[in-house]
Amino acid sequence: MWIVAGPCLVLALLSAWWTAGRLAGNGLWPPDNVTLSEAAATRNNAEAVRLIESGANPDQPSSVRDGLLASGYAVTIKPVEAAVGAQRADSLRTLLANGAAVDLEELRVLRCLEQTRHDSGVRELLGVEATSDIDCSGVRSPLERAR
Amino acid sequence: MVGTALRSPATTLAIVLATLITMPLADSLYRVPIQVSDSLEPIVIAAKYDSAQQLLHDSVTFSPTTFRPLRYLQARALLAVTRATGLTYHAVFRGLHVVLLVMLVALFMAAVRVRDWPDLVAFTVAFPVLLGIHTFLSMLLEAFPVNHFAQVGVCAMGVLVLAQHQPRWFVPVVACVLLALSLSVIESGAMVWVTVICCAAAGLRGINRTTVVATTIVFAGYLLLRHVLGISSPGIGGHGSGFGDRFYSPEELAQRFGAHPLGFMIYNVTGGLASLLFAEPRQGVYSLLTAWRRGEIHPVVLINVISSSANTALLIWYAAARLPRSRSAWSGADRTFVAACAAFIVNAAFNAVYIKDEIMSPAGLFYAIATFVAVRAVIDSLPRETLAAASFATCFLVVLGSFWTFRAVGVHYQLRYQAFTTRNDWVEVLRPDKHDEWPQNAEEFTLTQRIRAEAIGRRTTSPSFMPRWTDRYWVE
Repeated sequence: MWIVAGPCLVLALLSAWWTAGRLAGNGLWPPDNVTLSEAAATRNNAEAVRLIESGANPDQPSSVRDGLLASGYAVTIKPVEAAVGAQRADSLRTLLANGAAVDLEELRVLRCLEQTRHDSGVRELLGVEATSDIDCSGVRSPLERAR
Repeated sequence: MVGTALRSPATTLAIVLATLITMPLADSLYRVPIQVSDSLEPIVIAAKYDSAQQLLHDSVTFSPTTFRPLRYLQARALLAVTRATGLTYHAVFRGLHVVLLVMLVALFMAAVRVRDWPDLVAFTVAFPVLLGIHTFLSMLLEAFPVNHFAQVGVCAMGVLVLAQHQPRWFVPVVACVLLALSLSVIESGAMVWVTVICCAAAGLRGINRTTVVATTIVFAGYLLLRHVLGISSPGIGGHGSGFGDRFYSPEELAQRFGAHPLGFMIYNVTGGLASLLFAEPRQGVYSLLTAWRRGEIHPVVLINVISSSANTALLIWYAAARLPRSRSAWSGADRTFVAACAAFIVNAAFNAVYIKDEIMSPAGLFYAIATFVAVRAVIDSLPRETLAAASFATCFLVVLGSFWTFRAVGVHYQLRYQAFTTRNDWVEVLRPDKHDEWPQNAEEFTLTQRIRAEAIGRRTTSPSFMPRWTDRYWVE
């Protein structure tokens, strides 16, 4: 008969573990420490805003861990590039609304990046016509592995 | 009586288990920020009024189809608590949600009354059902900004617990207060009256004729008041709802079913009940139908359908084995089972116009209570069965308990997900590039700014950093 209680007892033990972990500052699935670029790459827009309001520079490149934007290696890129690379139009808009600056050179980089990671929302924000051709010769993708 | 119960080691252990499991759940619930949709507006409205009386007066006319005066008064009261205590808005509003969760768990324990070891084993199966059923999660996710569905659940469970005990002079008074409270927060509050009637029909001794008559008068008065105030019921097209394998917008529903709504209403009522008993459809949409057409089925759908169907089979077995006897021969457990089943069946009728998991949330609570009674009966029957039958029954309960425990763990994941999306919603409030949309009223601006700052300032877990497989197993 007691075997029936097994799953619930396991849940209770796990719950006790999670509570103890929480009291120790960790617990079940705690919030991760992310960079601004990582926040942009994972649609964590509220975290991006929190970081900017805490003083983070929205134009400063920061690292994005392996697996979020590129498979097999970490990259260091600007938050807006991370948003475009992750096809997150809402993240890009959040960054632009909260002080991220995009000059003409950066705009070209972003438009070329969008060519490889298509997203209609991002394209609209970057002011690119669906049919327009963009000259991306000589533009290095920010997602390329650093040499 | 309470003292006797507390002396039982089984009772103590059940309380320990429930406490251990509920604590991290309360933490997961507390992590969800105050919502923008459904919550910010009533908070702001409640804050702008000079007096509670004026707010109460005006709130009656806020909507032509709803009568929820306490919605705004509760928000106003919580704002006053925030000011008086110096606590954050998050602590007060979300803290109340946690209190409601704890009350639901406590009332569930009072309703099942674990007294001995077989009770405890039955509890270990039924408690994960309570937490893991989709209607419970839907209830936890609601906020207007106070969780009205949880309030209705607390009141309905409170009535059931009262009904299980000896009739006392105060029961009619308490039942009427619980009913009035529920009806003044949301229309689903009528489930409290339904619970009274179902308990009386099942012969639970705590509900006598006086309670039935008194609560019926309160409910009739409520309906009359709605009529006098010109508040109508929402019709087809007031909300979006599913039909077959897709979800329809309110406009689409009105166009397709508005002229001849009866068939759609029957679909909704049967669908609401099927949703509880078999985990399909969800919001009126049959995922299995979609999966069959696409040739791909998500594990979460299978897990939910299998666990709910097996559980429902258990309830049917109990009903077939115990209830054909004369009503006078029913035990207290039989009567609780009948009252719970009757309540969740009637609850399905509340889905007539549109299906929402939240509407069935009181039904989910009763479903878990009925499960406890049925599992307890299986455990009782084990010594009388052959070895093969007893082994089968034990395996069945272990598998059932495993499935429901897995579903209960998923509640943490979905609350994390909700916390993430709700916090992100606040990014759209007071956007720096849209100053022209900011509130002009200084008090409204300050209040919005503070709640936004609290929401943005509380870090949440991003689904991107949670295990990849979880989506397929816990999110439909």
